[in-house]
Amino acid sequence: MKYKISNLTEMQVSALREIVNIGVGNAVTSLSKMIETGVKIEVPDFKVELIEDVPEVLGGPANVVSGVIMQVTGDIDGYIIMMLPEEAARTICEIITHEENTDILTPINQSLIEEVGHILAGSYVSSLSDFLSLNIKISTPMQTFDMLGAIIDHILIEMSQKVEYALLFDTLFILQGDRTDGFFLTMFDPDSMDTIIGRVDKMI
Amino acid sequence: MIIVGMADSAVVKKPEKLTTLGLGSCVGISLYDKSTGVGGMVHIMLPSIESARSKENIAKFADTGIPSLVDDMVDAGAYKHRTTAKIAGGASMFSFNSNTQLNIGERNVTATKNTLDGLKIPIVAEDTGQNYGRTIVLDTENGELTVKSALKGIKIY
Repeated sequence: MKYKISNLTEMQVSALREIVNIGVGNAVTSLSKMIETGVKIEVPDFKVELIEDVPEVLGGPANVVSGVIMQVTGDIDGYIIMMLPEEAARTICEIITHEENTDILTPINQSLIEEVGHILAGSYVSSLSDFLSLNIKISTPMQTFDMLGAIIDHILIEMSQKVEYALLFDTLFILQGDRTDGFFLTMFDPDSMDTIIGRVDKMI
Repeated sequence: MIIVGMADSAVVKKPEKLTTLGLGSCVGISLYDKSTGVGGMVHIMLPSIESARSKENIAKFADTGIPSLVDDMVDAGAYKHRTTAKIAGGASMFSFNSNTQLNIGERNVTATKNTLDGLKIPIVAEDTGQNYGRTIVLDTENGELTVKSALKGIKIY
């Protein structure tokens, strides 16, 4: 199945973007409260990509990041992934633990990052779920620090067994104090996207 | 240096280098014929084309991507009976993978070995499994395969 972004009306695309924006906005507000630091987000970028091209689109498969992955289940299927460059992961750990020169690879800091990702995704998903009147759940988080391509390839493998294209929303968030940033990525398969679009159509 | 993307393959001649980046559960297969200096690489995602819904990109699967790479190498002048393989990847990045994806990395490695075995191409080096990502570089000058990782250092095979 070929899924084209051009099949969507401008109205649908902007409604989708707005829903994701509000969801990520809620998530980032939770983050901002947790770390008592201003966090800005950019308007989500919505893309339809061939699965094989996803690592390249996200900044290159060799890019080393701290990634937290959660599976989305319920009325729609997909993944939510938070990706932080080392600097952003360290900043978040240091703000929360009040320590300096933090090693983000200690078990305690790894689980801290994992939990931050989980809380963010939780508020994001509950906002999506309210907005779209859909039953959406997230799995327990999985966290690792490695090459971006390696972190997400098993997700892409799983999706590629069903579909050729992935729908991505990526949102850049910026921790104001330190000017470090991270990505919040949502990936759905086209069937789930149809479900979402169906709900969006009822709203607009 | 030629970059081989995900579900992609390429063939080059000495002294060009080939690389594929960020292998997790995927497997990177590097083939080399020392006598002619022809090298090839494919980055597979799945063991077999048989159960796939979309069969358009044959480089995506071990059982079609590897034979097709061998054909391309022979077209470029390589001798199949002198070609050897070095393989890397097939990791299991997370311990709590969903059931259906249980050991996809391991399944990719097994399919890769079976396919190479069927083609009578010997595997002379292997760096697979575990739980971390790998970037590989094949130097067609000498057939060396460099395996880089984020935290586990660099190995040369």
